[in-house]
Amino acid sequence: MKKHREHNLETPITQMIDIVFLLIIFFVVTASVDEDVVDQNVHLAIAKYAPAIEKNDPRSVVINLRDNGSINIAMQPMTLQQLQQMLIAMRQQSGSAIPIILRCDASTQYRYIDRIMQIAASAGLYRVRISAMVDE
Amino acid sequence: MKKRNNDSMAVPMSSMIDVVFLLLIYFIVTQKSEISEAHLAVNLPSPGRSSKDTTKPQLLELEVHTNALYLQGRHLSDEDVSAFLINMGKQNPDMTVMIKVSMSARAKDLVKALDYCSGANLTNMNVVTLK
Repeated sequence: MKKHREHNLETPITQMIDIVFLLIIFFVVTASVDEDVVDQNVHLAIAKYAPAIEKNDPRSVVINLRDNGSINIAMQPMTLQQLQQMLIAMRQQSGSAIPIILRCDASTQYRYIDRIMQIAASAGLYRVRISAMVDE
Repeated sequence: MKKRNNDSMAVPMSSMIDVVFLLLIYFIVTQKSEISEAHLAVNLPSPGRSSKDTTKPQLLELEVHTNALYLQGRHLSDEDVSAFLINMGKQNPDMTVMIKVSMSARAKDLVKALDYCSGANLTNMNVVTLK
């Protein structure tokens, strides 16, 4: 009698597992793997008209530039000399088509941006892009 | 007899559900809303790029200072600059915009200028430093 009652109260496990697995697959697929390249201390400027990027070039070098002018790549602090050496090495390895994404803080002075653009140009990389937050 | 066989072959559901829910909670917690970013192109002058056509390109000068934009030497409000560039983009989309940026200008000022050009479909831009 006890067993019979337990069977009646049973939850529909199969359907629940289906839904839960679908949710897991969704979160696995949408979880971004390269979030460590983004410096959370950099608050991007807002762009009103520019369209949001749909797909990032996997070859791109993301340089984070804080408002005090300090540089880091994937949270690894760098001096200008180190950055230059790295960019030269990347250019020799993969050519000059590598895009450079400059994630600079909205209040960063242009003198710091200019320094990085000059280093990129001297390393032979001319595809520089400045990252901005899309206004929604 | 058949029922007993079924019982022995059953998957340990409760432990599996535990694991599955842990995974689900992990992914929900670590999930971050996707940040929508735009990448504004800055055309750096490369040595290999030389204009083959001899016609003089039409130039529009946009000076970027801290919280101020100067179009052809005249100080204009952001709305006016945007409207002017949109108008220019419709009339002559091949026009080159020379963006001259002051050393003391902020990144947001440069982004604003690049953004207005992008909104006006003006893709020929050159960013130079104002000395």
